[in-house]
Amino acid sequence: MSSSVFGNRTTGLSLTLPAALFAAALFLVPVAILLSEAFVGPEGGFSLSAYSDFFADPRYRAVFWRTLKLGVLVTLTAAIIGYVAAFAIVSLPPKSRGRIFGLVILPLMISPVARTYAWLVILGRTGIVNETLGLFGIEPIRFLFTETAVFIGLLQLFMPLMIVSLISAMENMPSDAVPAARLLGASWVQVFLRVILPLTREGLVIGGTLVFTGSLTAYITPAILGGSKVLMLETLLYQRVTVARDFASASVIALILILMCFGANLVLRRLATVKRRTAA
Amino acid sequence: MNRIAAWTVISLLLVFLIGPFIIILGAALSAGPVMAFPPDGLSLQWFEKVFSIDSFRSSFAISIWLGLCSPLAALILGVPASYAMARYDVRGAELVRLLVSAPIIVPGIIVGLALLRYLVIPTGIGIGLALFLAHTALVLPYAVRVVSASMDNLRADIEEAAVMLGCSRLGAFLRVVLPNIRGGILAAFILGFVTSFNEVPVALFLSGPGITTLPIDMIGYMEITYDPSVAALAALLAALSIAIVFAAERFLGLSRYV
Amino acid sequence: MSDYVSLQGLTLTYGDTVAVPALDLEIAKGELICLLGPSGCGKTTTMRAIAGLLNPSSGTITIDGRDVTRVPPSRREVGLVFQSYALFPHLSVYENVAFGLRMKKSPDVDARVREGLATVGLSDFASRMPAELSGGQQQRVALARSLVMQPKVLLLDEPLSNLDARLRLEMRMELQRVQRETGVTMIFVTHDQAEALSLADRIIVMRGGRIEQQGSPEEIYNRPATGFVADFVGFETILPQEDGTALAWRPSAVELGSGPYEGRVQGVSFAGERRDYVLDTQFGQIKADVAAERPAHGIGETVAFDLPRERAVTLERAK
Ligand SMILES: Nc1ncnc2c1ncn2[C@@H]1O[C@H](COP(=O)(O)OP(=O)(O)OP(=O)(O)O)[C@@H](O)[C@H]1O
Ligand SMILES: [Mg+2]
Repeated sequence: MSSSVFGNRTTGLSLTLPAALFAAALFLVPVAILLSEAFVGPEGGFSLSAYSDFFADPRYRAVFWRTLKLGVLVTLTAAIIGYVAAFAIVSLPPKSRGRIFGLVILPLMISPVARTYAWLVILGRTGIVNETLGLFGIEPIRFLFTETAVFIGLLQLFMPLMIVSLISAMENMPSDAVPAARLLGASWVQVFLRVILPLTREGLVIGGTLVFTGSLTAYITPAILGGSKVLMLETLLYQRVTVARDFASASVIALILILMCFGANLVLRRLATVKRRTAA
Repeated sequence: MNRIAAWTVISLLLVFLIGPFIIILGAALSAGPVMAFPPDGLSLQWFEKVFSIDSFRSSFAISIWLGLCSPLAALILGVPASYAMARYDVRGAELVRLLVSAPIIVPGIIVGLALLRYLVIPTGIGIGLALFLAHTALVLPYAVRVVSASMDNLRADIEEAAVMLGCSRLGAFLRVVLPNIRGGILAAFILGFVTSFNEVPVALFLSGPGITTLPIDMIGYMEITYDPSVAALAALLAALSIAIVFAAERFLGLSRYV
Repeated sequence: MSDYVSLQGLTLTYGDTVAVPALDLEIAKGELICLLGPSGCGKTTTMRAIAGLLNPSSGTITIDGRDVTRVPPSRREVGLVFQSYALFPHLSVYENVAFGLRMKKSPDVDARVREGLATVGLSDFASRMPAELSGGQQQRVALARSLVMQPKVLLLDEPLSNLDARLRLEMRMELQRVQRETGVTMIFVTHDQAEALSLADRIIVMRGGRIEQQGSPEEIYNRPATGFVADFVGFETILPQEDGTALAWRPSAVELGSGPYEGRVQGVSFAGERRDYVLDTQFGQIKADVAAERPAHGIGETVAFDLPRERAVTLERAK
C-alpha cells in the first residue's frame, strides 16, 4: 500500500491519544463509577432502590420539579427577551452593533460569584429594590431565598448565550427577508412566525440548549440566591453529600442531571430538524 | 424596528445585564459598615480590607496558578490532538472529539465529586494536583475547539510545501503551522484562564485545608460576613476579567474564535 | 538522454483503491511534459509520488540516474508548485522565497532570492505579505520559491487553474520563458487541452491511472489514437467500425447541405464566424459547424449531411 508522508494513521493516533486518555481517565471513569453507585442495592447486587427511594420522597420530588420548572421558565423568558434584543441589535449599524455585542457577552467572562453577588445587593432586605419601595412607604418585600430571586439570577447569567446564538442566526438570515414580507403585507406577528422564527430556528435551539442546561446545572446562583429554602438539584446534591454523606442520592441526582441535559439536547435538536423539514 | 425602539430595548437589556456590576462597584465604595446602595459616603476602605485578608491572598494565588497552568497543560494535550484530527485520517476522531468535550457536557459538580471520591481518596494525591488535573480537563474542550477552528483556516498543503523545501515533519509544524495558529492558541489560553479562574462547581468538592480557589473562598466568606469587602473583591474580579477580555479582543480579535 | 526522469512500474494506491497501476514514463532533460486528463485520473497522485509526498506501493523513480524511490522529498531536488500555491501566510514574499534556502543554510540567500524574484518580475513586492497579492502574483511567488532551489525537476500541479483567462495566457508564456531561461525539466498537470497543446513538448494523456497516449501536441491533436483522446481534443463524432476500430470527425469536418445522410436539426447556435449545429441522425447525435455565411437551418428542419472519409481520423478503438 502506498503511504503518504502526511497520511500516517499511527502518527495521527499517537497525537490524539494523550488528550483522549486524559479525558477518559479524568471524566469517563470517575463519573461512570459515580453513576453506577446508585444501581447497587444495600446488600450489593443490582437494584433500583436508590431511585425509588429518591422519588418516593416528596421533598426531593419538589426539588426535581422546581429545577425543571425554573429551567423551562428561564429558557422561555430568555428566548422571548432574546428575540427582541437580538432583533434590535442586528438592526444597528455594524459599528455600534459590534460594541453592543461586546457588552452583551462581557458578563459571560465575569466570575459568576461576582454576578450573583450583585443580586444580593439589589434584592436584599436593605437592597435597592426595597429601599426604593420604602420611599413610597411600602413594606420591604422578601426577595432573597425565593424562586423569583433564583429565576432573576439565572436569567441574567444565561441570557447572553441566547442573545449571541440568536444574533448569529439572524445575521445569516437573508437581509431582505423581513422587508420583503412586510412589503407583502404581513403583520409583525406573521413576520415573526413565518419568516424570522423558521430562519433562526437553529440559533434558537443552540441558545435554548445552552440556557436550559446551564440553568439546570448552575450551582452558585441557587446556592446564594436560593439558599436551603429554594433547593435545586445541584444544591441538593451538594447538601446531601456535605451534610448527610448520602452518596446514593448524589449519584441519583447526578444521573438525573446528565439525562436531563442530554435529553434537552436531543429533544431540541430533533425539534430543529423536524421543523426544518416541514418548513421546506 | 425603528431607532428609538431599538435603543430603548438595548438600554433596558444592558441595565439588566451590566447594571448589577455598577451597583457592586457602588456598594464596594461605601464608607459604612454594611452593604448598601446607594453607599453611605465614599471610601476605599473595603478595597484595602480585601488585600489585608490572608485567605483571599492565598486563594487568589492558587486561582492564578490554576488559571495559568491548566490552560497550558490543556494546550500541550489539545494542540497535538486538534492538529492530528485536522490533518490525519484518525480513526475514531469523532469519538475523541466527544470524549474531549465531555467535560462541558457533564455538570461540574458531578465531576468534582467523582474525582474526589474515585481519584483523590483512593490514590491519595493532593487536592491541589487533583484541582489542576480537573481544570486541565475542563479547559481541554476549549483548547481543542479554538485550535481546531484555526487549523481549519489553514491549508494542509503549506506543510507539504515546507517539507518539499527541506523541513522535517516536526520542523514543518513548528515553522509554518505554529506561527499561523498562534492567535488561536493565545485565544484558547485566555479563554482557559478565564474559565478556570471563575470556575466554581468542580472546585466545590476539590478544596481542602490550605487549598481553596478564590471563588470558593468568596462564597465561604459571604456566608459569615455581610460587609462590602466581598463587593470590593467582586468589583476587582470583574475589572480583571474585563481588562483581560478587552485586551484580548483588541489585540487578537478573541471573538473570532469563540 | 531520454531517461532523465524515469518512472518504472509505479503503482500508487489509497487504501484498497489503486489510483495509478504500474505507470512507466521516461522524460528527457529539459523537456516540458504535460499530464493531461480528466478529473480523478491520477495526475496529482503521480506528481505527489515524484515529489516524494506519497510513497509508492511498488515501482521505482529515478532522477538523473539516481534511484530516489525512498529518498525524502527535500533531498530529491524536485520542486513542486501547488495548485493553491501553498504560500506561507505568515511570511513576506521575500521570506517565502528564502525559506528553502535558509533551510539548506545556503551561503548566498539574499542574492538568490533577489534573482528569483527578478525572474518572475516581482522585485518590487519583496516585502508584501501573500494576502496582499493577486492570484497571478501569488502564483509567481510560488514559482520563484521552487526555482531558487534550482531543482532538477519542477512539478506544477494545475498552477493556472485559479487564474482568469487573460492572466492564464500571460502566465503560460511566462512559464515557457522561465523554462527556456533555466532549462529546468518541467512536468505540468492540466485538464485543459488548450493549455497542454500550447505549452508542452510532449503530452501524456492519462486515463484511470494509465497512459492512454503520448506524443507531441501535433500528434495528439491531429492523430488521437483512441476515442477517449479524440474526444478530449475535440472530435465530437466517433463511429465504431466493424473491425473494432473507429472513425472520428471534428464538427468542422462534417459537411452540411449535401450528402448521403439526413438529420434533423436539434439545436443551432451562432458563434461569430461559424454556426454550430446539433443534428439528430441515424448515428446518434452529431455536431457540425459551418461557416456563418452559408444558409442557416432552423430547428426541426431536416438537412442532408456527409461524413467525408478523407477528413476522418482512424482510431484504434472507439472508447
Ligand atoms: N487521499 C485520498 N484517499 C483516497 N483516494 C484518493 C485520495 N486522493 C485521491 N484519491 C483518488 O485517486 C484517484 C486519483 O486522484 P488524483 O487526485 O490523482 O486525480 P487528478 O487527476 O489529480 O484529478 P483532478 O483533475 O481532479 O485534480 C481518484 O480516483 C481519487 O478519488
Ligand atoms: Mg489534481
